[in-house]
Amino acid sequence: MIQVENLVFTYPRNDSPTLKGLSFSVDKGEVFGFLGPSGAGKSTAQKVLYKILTGYKGIIKINDKDLSEWGSNYLEKIGVGFELPNHYLKLTGKENLDLFASFYQTKRNKSVQELFDMVGLSDAIDKPVEAYSKGMKMRLNFIRAIQHNPDILFFDEPTSGLDPVNAHKIKQHILDLKSEGKTIFVTTHSMEAADDICDRVALIVDGTLQIVDSPKKLKKQFGKELLNVELNSGEQMEFPLKKIGDNEAFLTFIKSDDVKSIHTQEATLEEVFISVTGKSLKQ
Amino acid sequence: MKKIINLAITDFKIVFRDPSLKSFFFLPIVLFVLIIWGVPFLVEKYDFLQPYIPLFLIIAVIENTQLYCFVSSMVLIDEKETDVAKVYGVIPFSKTEYLISRFLIPFFFTVLLNVILLFVQPFYEIGILVNILVSLLAAAVVPLYAMAINSIVQNRMQGMVYIKAFNMLVLIPVAAFFVPESIKHVFGILPTHWIFQSIDNLANGCETGFMLGIGFLLYAILIWMVSKVFVRRHFI
Repeated sequence: MIQVENLVFTYPRNDSPTLKGLSFSVDKGEVFGFLGPSGAGKSTAQKVLYKILTGYKGIIKINDKDLSEWGSNYLEKIGVGFELPNHYLKLTGKENLDLFASFYQTKRNKSVQELFDMVGLSDAIDKPVEAYSKGMKMRLNFIRAIQHNPDILFFDEPTSGLDPVNAHKIKQHILDLKSEGKTIFVTTHSMEAADDICDRVALIVDGTLQIVDSPKKLKKQFGKELLNVELNSGEQMEFPLKKIGDNEAFLTFIKSDDVKSIHTQEATLEEVFISVTGKSLKQ
Repeated sequence: MKKIINLAITDFKIVFRDPSLKSFFFLPIVLFVLIIWGVPFLVEKYDFLQPYIPLFLIIAVIENTQLYCFVSSMVLIDEKETDVAKVYGVIPFSKTEYLISRFLIPFFFTVLLNVILLFVQPFYEIGILVNILVSLLAAAVVPLYAMAINSIVQNRMQGMVYIKAFNMLVLIPVAAFFVPESIKHVFGILPTHWIFQSIDNLANGCETGFMLGIGFLLYAILIWMVSKVFVRRHFI
């Protein structure tokens, strides 16, 4: 669906490139995550992909057609969820949605009411957006991006500013869109969100891709194959995962008292990121 | 066309829901009252004002354009400040369509205001064709002004500062009426000069075609140049 080869982008008036030869591909029906600290080039890469920034070097193909050859019909096919809420504050939520829907030839496959219901904004549909909280505006961002049923979706920090319940709902909606066959490109510095929704993640630092793989594989690759057991007495021990059922020491240990917790020692995505790049995602 | 009209209507809703912008629509009423009753009263009472009637008319025409210069500038600045402008960069709506829809109503509303003003003013008989041409030229200030300001500023605060500066800029060519005839066209670098000169020629019964021609040409060039900068900066 999306193929990027050796993408280099330099902002006008900058001496050095912001993107330094990125290569990756995103398959149809995949949720692909760009993980990196602020200023790593995540949003720049997205902007190049949705044609806000031109003048890049390298090859970008969408459905095997060069990005530069796509006309305005490309914008019919994509939906963009911005990092920060951006709506007309004097208009109601519905008026905002209706206005932007009117620019597309593709009609909505869900009614406005259904879209508002979907993200728990039913009560706010006719309220001016200036009365919305940040979380509500972000949810409005989300439904504006998907309302014209695009094939490719770009989300920049889709759970930013949302409470845990609504963040969970949005992540679930993204997974629902994936199950409908949508191709989804997410940029985030939230390793939790990436872990929950992405099929593959790319770790990006200073405009360079460090590694691309599934969160599961990365966490396994960079974790320890150990099981940590803590007993009610407070005593803790670690055991190798391999043939754990035959490990007499492990069996004796867990029989010695009630078990308080058992955890595998796989790495978190943040630990993977730090291992690979030597930098923290929260920078 | 439907897209263009939708956005133009949206602009109207935004303006009329903002009390600070809505209040500006009273400005033309004040101007009309002054031109129809206020200035004739003053001229009758104070004879020395007689030679300045063209100037009164010039100021009224340019002030009519300032209504939408301010309103359009503020709508666009607000759109930039709230990042809504970025959305227009990723939807199937060309920049040309965007510009047309944004200035369609402001431009024709301003033309209409000035056509009416030049028609009802009690000082000169102005033919309808030349009236429309002068009004069209004057209304060209609106897109140029709003795009120029929005190519420079990032937020309302900066916008207010630049609007003050631009308000002075559009009036500077008035100075051409107080300098020797031989150097008055030095002010021609500012496009409003050609509107002022056209109205002055009209008032003095002189030919206006040349002034209007230069004016339209200068506006066309400036609008084209400024729109390039505006499009490059507004949607990112």
